[in-house]
Order: sequence, then structure tokens, then C-alpha cells
Amino acid sequence: MRTLILAILLVFAGTLAGDAQREPDSGSKIAALENVWNQAAQAKDLKALSALLDDAFIYVDPDGKMLTKSEVLADVQASHGIQVSSEDMVVHFHGDTAIVTGIYRTRGVDHGKPFVRLDRFVDTWHYMNGGWKSIASLATPLGP
Amino acid sequence: MAPLCLLLVCATALSPAQAAPEGGAASAIRALEHEWAEGQSSRDNRALDLIFDNALVYVEYGRLVTKGDYLSRVKVAEPSASQVVMEAMTVRMFGDTAITVGTYYEKGLSGNKTHPKRWRFVDTWVFERGRWMLVAAAAAPLTNG
Repeated sequence: MRTLILAILLVFAGTLAGDAQREPDSGSKIAALENVWNQAAQAKDLKALSALLDDAFIYVDPDGKMLTKSEVLADVQASHGIQVSSEDMVVHFHGDTAIVTGIYRTRGVDHGKPFVRLDRFVDTWHYMNGGWKSIASLATPLGP
Repeated sequence: MAPLCLLLVCATALSPAQAAPEGGAASAIRALEHEWAEGQSSRDNRALDLIFDNALVYVEYGRLVTKGDYLSRVKVAEPSASQVVMEAMTVRMFGDTAITVGTYYEKGLSGNKTHPKRWRFVDTWVFERGRWMLVAAAAAPLTNG
């Protein structure tokens, strides 16, 4: 069921992305892709997640560790019961590039103990080959 | 990339880009990264103003900072109390967009003691109006380095 929902979301997001050149200033399109990303990670839908990330995508996690696309997909595959949501998202467009800032709220269980973690993120999206792809992402512990 | 109030010592190691072969643009962006560091250490707001896009988003110590915030703080910064040493940096080209990824370490001074801390940064540059402009920058602390 979750896969079906994700498939519908992806089609929706893909349609939005296809319109990006006509309406390049629409932050809601990128925000939709960010939400698809969260849903795909939670559902461990690697196909959906892979479709959002450019092959040269890099991610820097809150511990400063750099991961490639394949390492991110492996990490998601190995995760357990993680719930991720994005808050306070703001999108800035620079031609065919979009910068998204926001806060990740991650909930999960670590060694039997539930946790909630807040990180600030900066994601970079690039419009290429008729769609938006994430090319870089960094998350860092939320500051005071 | 680098926090405020810092004396910068650059010792950058070069390494190849992965998204596309590095060329003149990548070299220009590397130079701009260093100009940024130098502009910050010398509190040269005019130089920084030319490097930063007006819509720059900068995440410093987990806080979101605008270009105006950043420049204001550079202007009133106290003389350097710490150093930043640039380490390896890669540049990945995506047409008129470039991603730089690298590390630096910060040697903060407290009394007579230094407190080194390493960071990994991701910067986004966009070629607009005939030049490369920094549009986003953020860093995460390296917990195992």
C-alpha cells in the first residue's frame, strides 16, 4: 500500500517537475519532492528514492560523514523504524537550481530507547533531463 | 564554510571532480573559496559582497544566517581568536551549478589552549550575470575526525 502511495506521489512530483521550466519559482514543487524523499526513506522504497537523487549525489550527515548515493540507499535499507519529517522549509531558486533549507525531525528507537532528533538541512536540487534531481544535501545539528 | 572571527591558513589539497571533469570553472570556484576565506579573515566586506549572492543561505553552527547577518557580523568581528585550516576540496560541475565539498579544521583559542574541531562543508555556486556566486553554504562537525 505504501509503495502504491509513493508511486502516486512520484507521478505527482514528476508532473510538477516537468512544469518546472515554465514555473521555475514555484517552491511547492520542490517541497513536494522533499516530502516524497521523506516518505521514500521511511518506506524503504529505494526505487523511489533513487529516482530523486542524481548519480553524483553526495550527502553529509550530522556527524560530518560523507555518503554517496549508493551509500545513502544502503543506509536507508539498513534503517529501522525511522520517521522523518521536514519543517520550516524555504526554497530559493537560482535558474535551474533550487536551494532548500529546513529542519529534519527524526524519530526512532536506538538500543531500545526512543529518540527525537532535530537537524538543520540544506539541499540542492538541479533541473536536468526534464526533471529535478537532488545533487547535494547536508544536515547538521540544530543550533541554539 | 568558515565561521567568523578567524584567521585563515589555507593548505588546500586538490582532487578531481566526479560529476564532470574539472576545468576552468572549477579552478575559478576554488579560487573563490580562497577569496572568501581571505575576505573573511581580513574583514573585507566588499570582497565578500561580490562573492555572496543576495539570497545566500548560510548555516553556521546549525543556525540559518542571511548574507546581511553574515556581513554585519564580519564587520564587527573581534581580532582573530582562532584559525581555520582548509583541507581537501572537490568541485562537482552540473552545468552552471557547482558543488564544492571539503573539510577544514578550526583551532579555537581559549586562554592559552587550542581546541581543534574539524568540519565538513558543502557549498553551492551558481553562474549568474557572468560570474560565479555563492548561493548556499553549510558545514557539519566531524565527530570522528
